[in-house]
Amino acid sequence: MKTYLLASFTLLLACCYVGIIGTTFAADPDAGEMEMLVFPENYKPMAVNNGGTISGVVKFEGDKPEMKVLEITKDPKVCGATEKYDESVVVGEDNALKNTIVYLIDITGGKDFDKEAKLEMDQKGCKFTPHVQIVPLETRLTMLNNDRVNHNVHIFSNINTPVNKQQTKNRRRMPLAGVKKAEGPVAVKCDIHGWMSAWIAYVPHPYFAVTNEKGEFTLEDVPAGEYKLGYWHEACGTNSEAPATVTVEAGSTVAQDFTLKLK
Amino acid sequence: MKIRTIAFLLILFGTLAVFSLTYAQNAPEASERGKEVYENSCAHCHGIEGRGDGSAAENLLPKPRDFTRGLYKIRSTEAGQLPTDQDLFDIITVGMPGSSMPEWETALSTEERWQVVAYIKTFYEGFKENENPPKQITLEGKISYAEQSVEIGKELYVELGCVECHGNVGRGDGTSAPTLTDSWGFQTWPANLTQGWNYRGGADTEDIFKRFIGGIAGSPMPAFEGDSFLNFGLTAEESKRLIELENRDEMTEAEEEESGKFYEKMDTAVDIALSIKEGAEMSAAEMQTYNDAMKVVYEKSWHLANYVKSLMPEKRPEPAIGNNVLRSQYVQGTLPAIDDAVWETFEAGYFPLVGQVVIEPRQFNPTIDGVHVKSFYSDTEVAFLFVWDDRTHTTGDEIDEATGKPLEDALAVQFPVKVPQGPTAPKPYFLGGGRLPVYLWHWKASTPEQVTELTAKGINNAEAQEAQGELQVQSTYIDGQYKLWVKRALKTEDKKDLQLEPGVFVPIAFSAWDGSNGDVDTKRTMTSWYTFTLEPVPSSRRFVYPPIIAILSVGLLFGLRAFVQRRNTEDV
Ligand code: HEC
Ligand code: HEC
Repeated sequence: MKTYLLASFTLLLACCYVGIIGTTFAADPDAGEMEMLVFPENYKPMAVNNGGTISGVVKFEGDKPEMKVLEITKDPKVCGATEKYDESVVVGEDNALKNTIVYLIDITGGKDFDKEAKLEMDQKGCKFTPHVQIVPLETRLTMLNNDRVNHNVHIFSNINTPVNKQQTKNRRRMPLAGVKKAEGPVAVKCDIHGWMSAWIAYVPHPYFAVTNEKGEFTLEDVPAGEYKLGYWHEACGTNSEAPATVTVEAGSTVAQDFTLKLK
Repeated sequence: MKIRTIAFLLILFGTLAVFSLTYAQNAPEASERGKEVYENSCAHCHGIEGRGDGSAAENLLPKPRDFTRGLYKIRSTEAGQLPTDQDLFDIITVGMPGSSMPEWETALSTEERWQVVAYIKTFYEGFKENENPPKQITLEGKISYAEQSVEIGKELYVELGCVECHGNVGRGDGTSAPTLTDSWGFQTWPANLTQGWNYRGGADTEDIFKRFIGGIAGSPMPAFEGDSFLNFGLTAEESKRLIELENRDEMTEAEEEESGKFYEKMDTAVDIALSIKEGAEMSAAEMQTYNDAMKVVYEKSWHLANYVKSLMPEKRPEPAIGNNVLRSQYVQGTLPAIDDAVWETFEAGYFPLVGQVVIEPRQFNPTIDGVHVKSFYSDTEVAFLFVWDDRTHTTGDEIDEATGKPLEDALAVQFPVKVPQGPTAPKPYFLGGGRLPVYLWHWKASTPEQVTELTAKGINNAEAQEAQGELQVQSTYIDGQYKLWVKRALKTEDKKDLQLEPGVFVPIAFSAWDGSNGDVDTKRTMTSWYTFTLEPVPSSRRFVYPPIIAILSVGLLFGLRAFVQRRNTEDV
């Protein structure tokens, strides 16, 4: 045993001595620093009467990109029944940009979370749905497995504890423990089916929305006031450096649209 | 240039030596002392700031650990927990086999190792924040190794989905294996579970048990916590009953109700387990429910650990030197074909492979552990069976960018053209020596029934022989393992071939390429020179039958035994 270690170490040292550097390994660029959401330091839930609404549409600037068809390398019966696409940029009609998070950056008081809301992320046809999921702090997210194949739910948290847990084909529902710290969005993967990809944002207040196919978002019951409105998109980045400013008036709706381009 | 490098290194090491002497004389705080130990011994791999980006890190895979994210593979603690100090101390002490992480038992004192533990913890805030000690996996109730336990574990291996990554018999060749990346985005491979000596964290049953319950943080290997297991929260009998009910086409009302109760029970158990994970206080009754549920999980886990243990030999085979030197066994008449059970009747010679790091392009991160070789010869022919594990079957569909050559799996066997006479005779120098030519067999996965004979006078100077076709070849790739069978006449007409005769010790060496690991040309794994011999006939008495003989077809067995006995009596 020791001899092997010694041998390999000697080889290693030998190469250090020769002092020539060979090939280097490039990391997956996705694994680098990801742009993050900005959270208020404190948030106090309170009753909101006659709040206002912020709504708008997020559009994609430039030609509608072709969605890449994913290569299904495994379990073709279940995973390959329908074609799967890389969902990092989903552009609909009129350049509507799906899966953008739009949120209030600097709100410190407002409504509480909807405690009744069911928080589920499905694994069906070896694809996560939704692709971007908002999860309130201290709240369980239930992973569904409708596939009857094995998945592993791998959440690449940095601030909270990362999760990597097997969800076998027999376990239809697998609730995950709530987390304590705001973070994200963090990547979600299934290593067993390497193409599966989604995002989770653990958030401390409910003023977060994810745009639909039409690129639309709505933030309701916002206490009157001036706010910084931020966005995050997986491929287009954030506006955290220069967020939009919106003024919300009681009982009325203010519009704010965004046009994003690839970073 | 070279002289300067060496001079620089000498100065560097000289300075380090002086420094370490000075440091030994004062005694600052543990983590401060640890800093010095760290910067002397660890930083060139793990980086001054613990980011895993030291000067030597560039070529290594797996990368030296980035300590700033608190991701530790080898823990005695539950999923998501940090390691204990003892875990860190132990891994630093013994190192991580199968990676470049060395052992430090010899180079650092116990005290220094504890000091460096304290220091590497400072790279990650999480160690400070956690006021509670990490929760350890309990090892109580170990189920000892037994065939029955292994059988149960084998089913769990499939049921839980270990097979997806680790493959049918554990060689790391599962269907998910080629697409795995670690938490830093680098490609990584599932462990070959049949090679216990390459496990990062030890291959005792307890080690295995801890690894899959706690998961291997930073790698794709998931944790198998309570509710990863089928019907968590039910007793074995209840679980059996539920499966029975679920398999019915239709349930009666009473049965609906019965299964409903089971589901409720499971939901409750899952809920409690999560609450515990979230840090909530639990009542005694709830703890009881949890403990009952975990008892079943732990039982299953021991069975599974026993199964994984059953996949590996007791220890790493000894390399084929000294008493283990590869001996070709004499057989009268026809030599056994590739699928003949007689190959299973004795131990192979084991030739460990290491990455070639002398000549560019180099292989610092080999994926092939070694070649196992057996051989028979007759009055006229010799047959070899070469066996090696490779997680992927790569046949050259992809082209290497640097060389423009196809990436494919391959094996080369080398002999000298002329056997050196006497122990002091120069051995053929393998890589580019050019003094004595070597006779080479080159097999590639894209042409699995063909072995090319070459004459080589150096690494970049190998020529295919004009006369080919002297070799008969068969090969298979099954469950992450290649088998290559090659037969040749002992004597050939070709002057460039090696000529074989019994009793002569013949140098032999191997190179192997794993295409999916980027192996091409000199980027490969290789052995140094070993020897083999055609065991002279009188000694064939030594032909011993290990217990595996039970699986032999009876006819063959008797035939063989009769043959050996005949030989033995003839000898007398
Ligand atoms: C030759 C390079 C090298 C040197 C020198 C080295 N390490 Fe490592 N170390 C590694 C590599 C590579 C890994 C990751 C192995 C893996 O992930 O499988 C590692 C991993 C570790 C881990 C993580 C263990 C775990 O459970 O995940 C610790 C702790 C560690 N090293 C401590 C040290 C300390 C302390 C020193 C100095 C006394 C040191 N290392 C020196 C290469 C090195
Ligand atoms: C998603 C793929 C995946 C699945 C599923 C998986 N493993 Fe692994 N396993 C890995 C990888 C990757 C490694 C190598 C980890 C490393 O050292 O970086 C590994 C390593 C191991 C090791 C070696 C630990 C060491 O000390 O080096 C053991 C033992 C193991 N796995 C057992 C299991 C068992 C048992 C199961 C099923 C209960 C399982 N694995 C399921 C990917 C997987």
